[in-house]
Amino acid sequence: MLYAGRIFAFGMLIALALIMIGCMEMAKKKLPTFRKLAGLDALPEMVGRAAEMNRPVHFTTGLGELTGTVAPQLVAGLAVLGYLTELAAKYGVKIVYSVYQPQVMPIATELMREAYIRAGKAEAFDQEDQIRFLSSEQFAYAAAVQGYAERERPAANVMIGPFYAESQLFAETFFRVGSIQLAGTARGYQIPFFAVVCDYLLIAEEIYAAGAYLSKDPVQGGSIQGQDIGKIIAWVMMFVGVLLTAAGSPALMDLLKM
Amino acid sequence: MSLFVRRQLPIAIVSITAILVMADYFFRIAATGPIVRDLQNWGIILSAFALGFGAVNLFIVHTRHISKQTSNQWPYSIWLLFMVALFAGVGVFIGPTSTQYMWIYNASYFALSATLYSSTGFYIASGCYRALRARNVQSVILLVVGGIALLRNAPMLAAGYPILIDIDGWVNSVPTTSAQRGIMIGAALGAIALGVRTMIGRETGFLGRRTEAER
Amino acid sequence: MSSLWKKLEDVPREVLYGLFLLAFIIPMLSPFGLPIPISADVRKWFATIDALPAGSTIMIDMGYSAGGEPELGPYAVAVTHHIFKKGKLKSIYMATSIDGVQLWETLMAEVKPEQYGAKYGTDYVHLGYMAGTETAMAKVGTGPMPSTDYKGNSIAQMPVMEGIKDATSFKLLICYTTGGDQSEGWVRQWVTPYKTPYLSCVLALMIPTMLPYYRAGQIVSLVSGATAGQYELLNKIPARGIKSADVISICHILIFAFVVLGNIAYYARKASEGSRKGG
Repeated sequence: MLYAGRIFAFGMLIALALIMIGCMEMAKKKLPTFRKLAGLDALPEMVGRAAEMNRPVHFTTGLGELTGTVAPQLVAGLAVLGYLTELAAKYGVKIVYSVYQPQVMPIATELMREAYIRAGKAEAFDQEDQIRFLSSEQFAYAAAVQGYAERERPAANVMIGPFYAESQLFAETFFRVGSIQLAGTARGYQIPFFAVVCDYLLIAEEIYAAGAYLSKDPVQGGSIQGQDIGKIIAWVMMFVGVLLTAAGSPALMDLLKM
Repeated sequence: MSLFVRRQLPIAIVSITAILVMADYFFRIAATGPIVRDLQNWGIILSAFALGFGAVNLFIVHTRHISKQTSNQWPYSIWLLFMVALFAGVGVFIGPTSTQYMWIYNASYFALSATLYSSTGFYIASGCYRALRARNVQSVILLVVGGIALLRNAPMLAAGYPILIDIDGWVNSVPTTSAQRGIMIGAALGAIALGVRTMIGRETGFLGRRTEAER
Repeated sequence: MSSLWKKLEDVPREVLYGLFLLAFIIPMLSPFGLPIPISADVRKWFATIDALPAGSTIMIDMGYSAGGEPELGPYAVAVTHHIFKKGKLKSIYMATSIDGVQLWETLMAEVKPEQYGAKYGTDYVHLGYMAGTETAMAKVGTGPMPSTDYKGNSIAQMPVMEGIKDATSFKLLICYTTGGDQSEGWVRQWVTPYKTPYLSCVLALMIPTMLPYYRAGQIVSLVSGATAGQYELLNKIPARGIKSADVISICHILIFAFVVLGNIAYYARKASEGSRKGG
């Protein structure tokens, strides 16, 4: 019935899904706690700096579509956008979101509008000025964001999401105009570029935790907890696998190949 | 539009589609094969339409700039729309691989794209110069590994000092691969979590704006 | 003295970029002929193609964008020369990048397959751009193949498509890409279910992230486009890659020199400030 070589993968997928659903249900009663993420704790400081300098905050979720394989990263970025917008609204700082994919715009509009409402500044939200669809072409988008940075010289730049080659262009340009920067991506190719230039960095799955960390949403929190359990399972399997392989037993390898 | 049509129906479609595709991957069920192939065709067609959707959005945004004469923007918007029309016209009426299309493609888009991409080389050079400083233990490690990578990737030095290839090979095979595997496992679990949330209707961002009643 | 170290610690960007530009231009205009070692991965790539039996069909994904052409283009040219020179191999191209068709036209204009007696429709064909990345890969893997080529001509009667139904019809998969979605996607959609041997050519910055697949044996050979010069040496057809190798050498050494200078200046400044405070 099941294809040979895919039985174990199927079993793991079902087990992980059940664990994640269970964690989401448990999180409704008690929200899981997260370790401190320096980058996220620095967000109020970054927005405060922008308020003092009377310069805007820039936000981008990079490239990527809501329907692609990098969608989880884009969703994580949007979660941070909601929190950052509320902060910016409270401090009276303009926040600008540069959009790559037009399908994200309605979601971003709702997120940002609700954030302004929560901050009690609904009338301050200007969708046309603050949510800018630039281009769906990578380097046209990159050039547009760089142009914005040079012209408006934002005090803070937050980049959370799937980034490609434009990551280095963004990081250097915003550094040059004096922005304090927080960046996060789960695309391993670009993490080194952010690590070299940005002030704060979220590496890989920290961006998934960011949304839960900031929003205190039980669904996201439970989801992160489920992922952590998945990582513990992976770690245990690796440890057991190393021991078994060293002892000459192919048991775990055979299990994985089932 | 009722809540069922705006929320529950799309979630049901997403869940059923996901289950079908996963069932086809894991189980030998003859009936799912043709259905999944059709879904794949539809997926390709939808992706192609999404590109067109991006172009339409671009058109709307920039005509708005032109009509409002947004300062420092509207002349560029005119130029952009002109180039869109030129590429579209030549591509549709003469052909996307015609000599004329290839000429404007190579003369404009290809040259600009390659230039911007190549500019990352300059940026990484200044980034390395600033960041690879031995200020603390972590930055010393970054400096040493970065230095080895720089020297090994200079072909003439790798030819003269093969030990660089061995050291870089070990760094790539052991710490780098291990770290990347960890990142990949984390990213994969994130993708599974998003998929599970979407299928059980807990992730509704893709459904767009909520009405007052839904809030 | 400490002001001199401070200046060296913080060399203006313009100076750095200017020197970098010279390091690019001079070797391009007047190649130095610096030595180029041939790596084991490039040799493995070359040997894999050489070992293909006559009549084998290769799926080749033109998955790179115009921005990546200066790095990946020369490697693609060198490999294409090799495939056509070896002869009796069928190449079926597709593009998961929207620029893939135009870049393929540029590639073919540079390679000139007719010099090897290769004919479109008989020895090679291009199926066109397919949107959806992994969905497209999965679709092509499960079959059936698209019914037209990139110009909309029917491919049903083309000799190159004879016997091609799905991923199992191919002896080798090659992907040139600037996007991790493509390079990793082929592993998930072709290598894992069909065990198709896979050669991957990516940007140099992508190598560390692709290493887990390579070390797990899911990729036969993983190279960066910057190694084009090495492939040209194996092919004995010098072109852009060899010229670029000089530029790569000089630029890497220049960056390393600046990094060393910056560190020396940093510590020298700290030492001179420290001794001044000590009195």
